[in-house]
Amino acid sequence: MSTPLSNKFYEEMKKLESRYPNKKALILPALHQAQKEYGWLPKESLAAVAEYIGVHEAQIREVASFYTMYNLKPVGKMHLKICTNVACCLRGADELMGFAEKKLEIECGETTKDGLFTLSEEECLGACTAAPAMMANDDYVEELDIHKLNAYIEKIKEGGVRS
Amino acid sequence: MPKCTIDGKEVEFTAGENLIKVAARAGVEIPVFCYHPGLSVVAQCRMCYVEVEKMPKLQTACSTMAGEGMVVKTNSENVIKGRAGTMEFLLLNHPLDCPICDKSGECDLQNNSFGYGNATMRHSEERRTFVDVDMGPVIEKNMNRCIHCTRCIRFGDEIAGIHEMVAVQRGNNIDITTIDGKQLQTEYAGNYSDICPTGSLTLKDFRFRKRAWMLKKTASVCEGCSKGCNIEVQHEGNVVYRCVPIENQQINKFWMCDEGRFNYRYTQDPTRVLEPMKRDAGELIKASWDSAMESFRAEISASKVSFLVGTDLTLEEMATIKEFAGLSKITVEHFGTQGVESTAQDGPQDTILKMKSKTSNLNGAEKLGIPAYSGKSSTDTVIVFRGGRAVLPAIKAKKVIGVGVFLAADTAGLSLVLPGFSFTEKDGTVINHMGIEQKLRRAVLPGGRCKAFSEVLMLAMNKKALAGAVS
Repeated sequence: MSTPLSNKFYEEMKKLESRYPNKKALILPALHQAQKEYGWLPKESLAAVAEYIGVHEAQIREVASFYTMYNLKPVGKMHLKICTNVACCLRGADELMGFAEKKLEIECGETTKDGLFTLSEEECLGACTAAPAMMANDDYVEELDIHKLNAYIEKIKEGGVRS
Repeated sequence: MPKCTIDGKEVEFTAGENLIKVAARAGVEIPVFCYHPGLSVVAQCRMCYVEVEKMPKLQTACSTMAGEGMVVKTNSENVIKGRAGTMEFLLLNHPLDCPICDKSGECDLQNNSFGYGNATMRHSEERRTFVDVDMGPVIEKNMNRCIHCTRCIRFGDEIAGIHEMVAVQRGNNIDITTIDGKQLQTEYAGNYSDICPTGSLTLKDFRFRKRAWMLKKTASVCEGCSKGCNIEVQHEGNVVYRCVPIENQQINKFWMCDEGRFNYRYTQDPTRVLEPMKRDAGELIKASWDSAMESFRAEISASKVSFLVGTDLTLEEMATIKEFAGLSKITVEHFGTQGVESTAQDGPQDTILKMKSKTSNLNGAEKLGIPAYSGKSSTDTVIVFRGGRAVLPAIKAKKVIGVGVFLAADTAGLSLVLPGFSFTEKDGTVINHMGIEQKLRRAVLPGGRCKAFSEVLMLAMNKKALAGAVS
């Protein structure tokens, strides 16, 4: 059987299954696991997740499009998600976003031509105490200002992304 | 029976009933958007707020089951404020395009806004807008008007059995659409428009043709198949504009299929034969009723004749024709759907509503003891009585005469056509596959010079041309 998801996905799911009350509750971790395989969620992988969970593909689509942490389009190696919600906005998130767009020469939501950066806007990372905040792949970068953001981007450009 | 109090009125209820149903019995209407009695309850729209004593916050009536001794208020100050607040939120992004919206006049959003919302709004920001996908030939989508009640999604999933609508994104960006922008697949798509509480999903067929409040409504029965779904024929100025289902828990619940919904179109087809027509040198030519009846009488008295009645006729019509045939010893057989000749061969075509027999009264024909057309009895002339829906079988006879509803395309083998009434133009009784008798009601008057079957037969008899038949 050809499946867009590796055996590792099904092994991981097997481990998780006992921790959840029913299979439907596994949708979120399953999508995370599927995303790890490609870096984003192609349609075929959503269909495979739907088949594994045993719900209609439409329901998986709804969930995957609801949460911003699931990428439905290919993303760069470094996915920068700048929070623009209330606390961060008051502390200058809009300026940060404008700066990042200029620096990377892309619009919010786009990926650089070399495939290194993707820039997107995030609604509240839950890091209001350290606003403005940004999520860089799975890491939080907090108390940002333009200099700090500039340095962070430069560092990635030189040193690449830790895998 | 347990009792609860709604707005000071004591009401009995059965366990498991929600407050909307119980309140309706007490004569109290609770405004709703996402709640639909035929679908599951999600409590998303927050319009059905009520105040329940001893509960700290407002409750949604759709998801609150009535309890013994519960005291419910549906018009307290809190509830009025809550509803107005909900309305304000729902209208944040709703365009004020009621004047050009087809739903206007039968729109839940419009009605509830008028009844429970504020007259003014405080919102001055830009509204969100969408580019809409084409949803196929039945439904026109306008996402800008949507309030995200998800009735359509639940209808597809729970009733039509196809989960084709999805809600993608969230919050302000939420978009109710089809998977990958595909066209709608279900054969029950018209219901999406019926259950939509706004003008988001409207019928392409009805679009910009008539304002809802101008329509006159006649409750009737669909003639599309032997299910006998209850419908409302909506018409104005002797033109039928649409058919919509009406509730009948025994038969069609709240729904109907697209085949039945758009079936009325043939009655207004420009090629429908509305004048008596006689074939002369290979061409059908308009004739007067007098000369047409002259030929009809000559045919009946001179040659060996048999009658074929469509199973799309009403019981009354069939009985009249049968009685007439009995007087002059003419055989009567029925025809309707190819491959379905008796109720034994009839059965569900899908798991929802559609039946295999594509006419409304196969059961009635059987109850009157009319056998199916076998093609064995060879007669010189066959007279076909047709309501418009029954499929003409291949007839082996020298002459075929058609009485009833025919489109130009059906008349190829006919030597004489006498125009009759279609299902929207007559009263009568039909028996559905379950044996339930239901009434057709005349909604519009037939155009042209159509005559009822009874009148045609009476004209045939009154001249006493039928030798020996009339004493």
